[in-house]
Amino acid sequence: MKRNGSPSKNGKGVRLTMTLDGEKVTFTRGETVYEVAERNRKEIPTLCYDPRLEPFGGCRLCVVELEGARNPVASCTMEAQPGMEVRTRTAALEVQRRILMEMVASENRDLDVDPMHGYASQEMAELLDRYDARTGRFEGALSGHSRDDDDNPFIKRDYDNCISCYRCVRVCAEQEGDYAISIMNRGFDTQITTEFGGLLKDSACTFCGQCIQTCPTGALGDLKALANREVPGETETTRTICPYCGVGCSVDVMTRGEKIIGVLPAMDGPANEGSLCVKGQFAFDFVGHPDRLATPFIREEKSGQLRPASWDEALDFAAGKLSKVVKDHGRRAVYGIASGRAPHEAAYMMQRFIRAGLGTNHIDNCSRA
Amino acid sequence: MPTATNDELLARWKDKPAPLLPLLHALHERDGYLSEEALRAVSAGLRIPIADLFGTVTFYHHFSRDADGLDRPRVCDGPVCGMRGADVLMASLRAAGHDVQAMPCPGRCDQPVPVIHRGTVLTGRTASTLESGPSPLPPPPPNGLEECVFAGIRRSGRATLAGYRSHGGYEALTRAVNGMTSGEVIDMIDASGLAGRGGAGFSTGRKWRAVAEAAGGPKTIVCNADEGEPGCFKDRLLMDHDPHGTIEGMALAAYAAGAVRGFIYLRYEYPETFDILEGAIAEAEAAGLLGDGILGTDFSFRLMVRRGAGAYICGEETSLLNSLEGKHPFPRNRPPFPVTHGYENLPTVVNNVETLASAPPIIVHGADWYQGLGRGDHAGTKVISLSGDIARPGNYEVPIGLPLRELLHDWAGGPPPGRTVQAVTMAGLSGGFLAGADLDVTLDEPSIRSKNSFLGAGGIMVFDDSRDMIAVTRESMEFFAEESCGKCFPCRIGTQRLVERLEGRGPATVDAWVDEVIDLNEVMKKTSACGLGQAAPLLTESLIRYFPDRIRKHVADHGDGRGPATKG
Repeated sequence: MKRNGSPSKNGKGVRLTMTLDGEKVTFTRGETVYEVAERNRKEIPTLCYDPRLEPFGGCRLCVVELEGARNPVASCTMEAQPGMEVRTRTAALEVQRRILMEMVASENRDLDVDPMHGYASQEMAELLDRYDARTGRFEGALSGHSRDDDDNPFIKRDYDNCISCYRCVRVCAEQEGDYAISIMNRGFDTQITTEFGGLLKDSACTFCGQCIQTCPTGALGDLKALANREVPGETETTRTICPYCGVGCSVDVMTRGEKIIGVLPAMDGPANEGSLCVKGQFAFDFVGHPDRLATPFIREEKSGQLRPASWDEALDFAAGKLSKVVKDHGRRAVYGIASGRAPHEAAYMMQRFIRAGLGTNHIDNCSRA
Repeated sequence: MPTATNDELLARWKDKPAPLLPLLHALHERDGYLSEEALRAVSAGLRIPIADLFGTVTFYHHFSRDADGLDRPRVCDGPVCGMRGADVLMASLRAAGHDVQAMPCPGRCDQPVPVIHRGTVLTGRTASTLESGPSPLPPPPPNGLEECVFAGIRRSGRATLAGYRSHGGYEALTRAVNGMTSGEVIDMIDASGLAGRGGAGFSTGRKWRAVAEAAGGPKTIVCNADEGEPGCFKDRLLMDHDPHGTIEGMALAAYAAGAVRGFIYLRYEYPETFDILEGAIAEAEAAGLLGDGILGTDFSFRLMVRRGAGAYICGEETSLLNSLEGKHPFPRNRPPFPVTHGYENLPTVVNNVETLASAPPIIVHGADWYQGLGRGDHAGTKVISLSGDIARPGNYEVPIGLPLRELLHDWAGGPPPGRTVQAVTMAGLSGGFLAGADLDVTLDEPSIRSKNSFLGAGGIMVFDDSRDMIAVTRESMEFFAEESCGKCFPCRIGTQRLVERLEGRGPATVDAWVDEVIDLNEVMKKTSACGLGQAAPLLTESLIRYFPDRIRKHVADHGDGRGPATKG
């Protein structure tokens, strides 16, 4: 779990001060230098950082100068201390960051990818622009091997564009708890892998898509969204709540015209902070599917055939049948199961209906059943 | 002997401290490789996610995932063995029907060329002359100069408990536990000026005190015996011929720091040393010098040996701790440091073999005695592993402050007849090269650091004027690229790009070539997360400093530098 927001027992609530680019700023114990700098709008570049994950210290772009330290220090892993003097943007740091970005650019096949790859997929390209780092220097071997053989329908594994920031591995372990992917080999031969190098479907992967959405280069891509790249029209994004279960994950649904072309997790969603499951992330085809029910149906008693009905008619019909069962067989003949997709309020109404309305305690929820 | 099943091996190790590496070694030796079925059993038994375990196993180059991997002879192709005919030996092994693989330096630069085959180290020049043997003893110092860690090492029987005790062995521990407080032990080590002999040079007394004063426990002493630096083979000598010196040093550290458990993290490449250490620990336990109630007091200390599996980065103390804990051996972010957050996130002393072996003589003879062993203002001694183009390669315990040229010429006989010293490495490979007038340094950190290098663990490789320094640099950089862990960008990408430029790829003009290499050097030195990435560019930095003409020719020829390290 993330480290900030867990102030130590003795330092809780105490405002401490440090110097950031010559200005005194306050922080609370447990905050990292990077977090303090972000609050103060310093826009320190990073590629391995995801605020939901443990600081890693891999990309070294976030290094800052710390008074008294021989070398620059990674601000993401350095806890702020009272009296620290930190410089976040000196000429020397900016030169180092530019060279680092040139080095990163040299190991990938593509520097620009379609934004439909995923939420963070433009991060590297934006930093290449910011540091004017598309120079072609440090040319050499490319790192990573794409897994074109992985024919799963959701996650593109294009590791020729991987920069080994391991955000995918870390989000899988720290946020999702799946531990489906890991780091194989060493150094420049490093490769993201599953157990024994197999396909995702044969691994512990749940296809939640979290790895895609944190990838800063498009090495991982949302295959469902990418399949809709050619749908005409402007992309519109609508904040809504995932309809599947009662958790209430926030999502940003991408549409072109009437067609849903993909789902982005809402990093500021209070219930999920960007997390989604396979259904919320990928299972939206039902929305426009021709088989989808548009009205209630009533099954004709004689023919056994379904016929469309109005809501009033259908509800009256259901109420009549339920009443008949209670009348004929007693109230304990009814058993209610609330849907796991229903929010708290609807589940509450359901149990009131069964307990108070029908007078039985035969009520449960499908999440438990 | 019946073969142990997965369940039996799991039952043997599951509840022991730091169980992953010994369990994997047991399976590797049983099957000759690590099978999928064995790894799945380990994953379930130790509750490590299978993808993590698989990734971690691939990190160690001596763990084979191919059936019969253990049967493949592995031959050193490091810079010194490369000059001593590693290619001839490999060809001869291939001719004898072996599937040969190269390996990085296994610490036998005094006896080229080493081969590891079925868990045994052999040395020789051809397949038919390979033999195993003990580590060579150090040559005696000139003029009977007084030594610290080598003082008793040439006595026969020194490796046995009786031999060790017959000349004052365990006297320091006896004195400490019977008549000194832990604070007094720390004060004495502190006053001696002893500093980390593994290369970092941190004050040993301060480290022990920090752990003694740190909150939380149980506390741990870790002996870093993962001597992976190419050109360093001193710790092997110390452990092979004087194992009780290191063990007594660890017990002293434990007494001083209040630790109850200890590990010797031994590199895979020293299998004979493993047996020697296990034997010595058993002897010491039987004599009441280790275990519960040491020497009749209430001081207890349990000592265990754990073997690495082939990863240079595990000599970096925080990678070592992750490796011991069974995690992916990336270095940790610091702070916090191991003195407060070490093994299992508890206070831990991590000291090099030589550092620990220096402690008993200091306790017996006193801080002033140790200080006086250095030359001039410098305190104490340092073991130098000397190899390459030198008449008498081997380990030398020198007074700190000894002129380098005195060691090379007066102690070790100088370069081969008719040759001159073109360059030497410092800190194994990590300090880059010294050449020309800079060979006038004295062997102490202030002098060597003034030349933009460092003494480090004390490995010095000598290259005479017949050697091609581009090729030497390329082979050395290949080592760092091979061993870069892959955690931080500057090291992972930078070592690869430097190798490519030394292979003759990269910019075609000298100015552009030098510009790129300088930029890589600077960014690696300034922003790498650990010492590997910070040190590797010292090779190319010193190449540019001392051999600019050679670089001009290299870039002009564009594509040379792929040949062997010898011109003729």
